[in-house]
Amino acid sequence: MARVVLDPTAETAPATRERTPRPAALTGLTVGLLDISKHRGDVFLDRVAEHLTAAGHTVARFRKPTFTKPAPIDLRHEIATKCDVVIEALAD
Amino acid sequence: MVGLEGLGIPSVMVASDQFTVAADVQARALGADPARVFVAHPIQDRTDDELRALADAALTALLAALVAPPDPSGAG
Amino acid sequence: MTTDPDTTTLRARRVDLGASEDEAEAMFERGWTDGLPVVPPTPERVARMLTGTTRAPDEIVAVVPPNLVECSVEKVAINAVLAGCRPEYLPVVLAAVEAACTDTFNMHGLLATTWFSAPVVVVNGPITRAIGMNSGVNALGQGNRANATVGRALQLVVRNVGGGRPGEVDRATLGQPGKYTFCFAEDEVGSPWEPLHVSRGCAPEESAVTLFPGESPRGLADQLGRSADHLANSFAAALRTVWGPKAVIAFDALVVVSPEHARVFRESGWTRARLVEELDNRLQIPGAELVRGAGGIAEGVDPSLRDTTIPKFPPGGLLVVHAGGGAGFFSAIVGGWAAGAMGSDPVTRVVGD
Repeated sequence: MARVVLDPTAETAPATRERTPRPAALTGLTVGLLDISKHRGDVFLDRVAEHLTAAGHTVARFRKPTFTKPAPIDLRHEIATKCDVVIEALAD
Repeated sequence: MVGLEGLGIPSVMVASDQFTVAADVQARALGADPARVFVAHPIQDRTDDELRALADAALTALLAALVAPPDPSGAG
Repeated sequence: MTTDPDTTTLRARRVDLGASEDEAEAMFERGWTDGLPVVPPTPERVARMLTGTTRAPDEIVAVVPPNLVECSVEKVAINAVLAGCRPEYLPVVLAAVEAACTDTFNMHGLLATTWFSAPVVVVNGPITRAIGMNSGVNALGQGNRANATVGRALQLVVRNVGGGRPGEVDRATLGQPGKYTFCFAEDEVGSPWEPLHVSRGCAPEESAVTLFPGESPRGLADQLGRSADHLANSFAAALRTVWGPKAVIAFDALVVVSPEHARVFRESGWTRARLVEELDNRLQIPGAELVRGAGGIAEGVDPSLRDTTIPKFPPGGLLVVHAGGGAGFFSAIVGGWAAGAMGSDPVTRVVGD
């Protein structure tokens, strides 16, 4: 059911939640690669990892226990602690 | 993952282009607009070489989704 | 209520909550709260809130700092819903927003200061009874919906409409809990004096808010003073340290006199004006005590003022109200902020319909 509220602000900002600010560049940052555990996603992410490593970026690999449920809180916290940005793959 | 964005971690999700509509619907349902990159369906039937090619093709878009857009004023 | 409130004339932007979003979380994630949960402002709730005033929803109430945004009655109503107000509180909230946004009160400066002060809303007149405000036991504390939500609504208007938020324009070094809400009613029935708003020029049958730029209250205990002179000495000694022991002339204070202390002043026949005069007389400070280095304290006034006498407070810098429970020889000093053109002066505003 659609729920509507009225905007209490001066309405100068967009109504949709904005994405978190991005860094200017990935230099020196750790890129997390999160495998959502659908079949073949590891092959895709292996290749992405190759490119990132060749470009000199630090890569950290993670895997959801199962693709059928959201990532557990512990995993999210671990990723947030160890990584600066994240690529999550591969939904089909 | 919307959750990681909420923790201040820029995130981009990769999905088969079968999911473009579903992804939009889910985004509206969550009131957020997460970064997404779509790759050509199918996924499961592809050879490893074909999947690696998909990764090659998606790389630029993935990196672009994780960094700030260039300053339009051209400074720097 | 049997009539559905009319939501069609509401002009604020509609924000669709996602079907999967928890309503309470959605408010937090959009930055609309003061850190505590708020009531989701559905069109029905806002329309119902607007029945609390006869003013048109699109009437501009004030220009809200720091972003100097024109704020309509409807926007105040939305934030009053967030705060948890009932519709009958809305006229008080409107008056508080008007008062806060005057040049005299200087809400922008008050928000931006690193000092503790925030708007304290003192409410007088028939509306305090009509909406069930607390002027008695724990009057400055928690538990009363009107006290809690009227003060909170003002803060949310400044945050959401004006764009004033901690870490941005709000640079308070420490802040204080009164920045969530600080609103109470004066106890007029038990008071030895005329109501505060009457002393400031309102008619007794009017209701009014008086905004004071206050920090958190500090307590003053005097359980032995049974003469007005003794008690005034006690109050003056406590007032001496508002802002700091060496600070003079520039600051103000609100004194909340409890019933037990008020009885002492009543029995001595001291009017409010007399009390203020007696306090001012006791707060004429010898320069020798105030110069830099005096008392081993680096702070202070220029040594050239050593042989002068300087008042602790400027003329009119002391406000006195009566509130509190019937037991306890404790009153409260609410220190203020810089008075006058550079700071903020208290503002009284009549509560309309």
